[in-house]
Amino acid sequence: MENLHISATPSSPEVDFRFAENVLSLRGESYPENAAAFYSGIISSLNEYLNSEVRPQAIALNVELTYFNSSSTKMLFTLFGTLNDKVANGVEVTVNWYCHEDDDTMREFGQDLQEDFPSMKFYEHAIADD
Amino acid sequence: MNPNMMYAQYREFCEIACKRHVIFYYVGYFSQSIISAMADAVRMGVEHIGAASQTRRRLFSSFVEMAQNIVHYSADALTPEDRNDREMRHGSVCIGIHGEKYFLICANPIKTEMAEQLRETLEPLRTMTIDEIKAAYKKMLQSDAPEGSKGAGLGLLTMARDASEPLEFDFAPSREAGITMFYLKATI
Repeated sequence: MENLHISATPSSPEVDFRFAENVLSLRGESYPENAAAFYSGIISSLNEYLNSEVRPQAIALNVELTYFNSSSTKMLFTLFGTLNDKVANGVEVTVNWYCHEDDDTMREFGQDLQEDFPSMKFYEHAIADD
Repeated sequence: MNPNMMYAQYREFCEIACKRHVIFYYVGYFSQSIISAMADAVRMGVEHIGAASQTRRRLFSSFVEMAQNIVHYSADALTPEDRNDREMRHGSVCIGIHGEKYFLICANPIKTEMAEQLRETLEPLRTMTIDEIKAAYKKMLQSDAPEGSKGAGLGLLTMARDASEPLEFDFAPSREAGITMFYLKATI
């Protein structure tokens, strides 16, 4: 299946889903006008990849988002849910969660995700303050 | 107009803004590209005045939520009612300093019948503790978006979470029939 690459804009993140390598990355800021429209295409590509004939064994998701608005939060939660459902089918999902050390909101959201989706391996990484 | 007169009026306007410690003000049509340009200005402005990084993030977050609410819900739209992308709607937003704290105020016209619904959503948030707000946020995140929401129903909860005091709001009659002005204030 073809990789998915969407370049960043001032209000939407870079999407770099390398399905061939099983490495999925999101980088930048996310506050598009219509987050549901932006993420639903991404989530349907993800579903297509997860249900393809050559099923991935282990997937890494790198989330390096410095800001996301409320409607993007909802869509990210759906994206995590989509991946988490696959863990039950024997796919190992590792999440690398990048946030600023002093960004309590982002850290707490990461911790909430861990609670909601405990079967994924979750690693928190610090980004240097700018 | 006599140019000296014009400058005097403009100076008066600037002095009032300065006296009220207004660091950002915009009134006009809001679109996604206008918001992202303003977001840059806001980010630079709050960095310039030396706000702590967590405060800057909360100001930025509340600013984006307010501005996007105007794009999605203001009753004064240049674009058709049923359109949900590249919308342009009218409103205003202001950021200022009051004592040790920052505040954001936004205003936009709404259909009068929406006022009650907004009041019912906002009033309970005012008496909730931060833990109750976080719990409500989490519950909303896990459920389907409410009817009529163009986002996730999380915008006001996000502002309540980022604020250090209860959100304040008000409604005022408008000259136009069936239209009410809606004001929202968040203190960071």
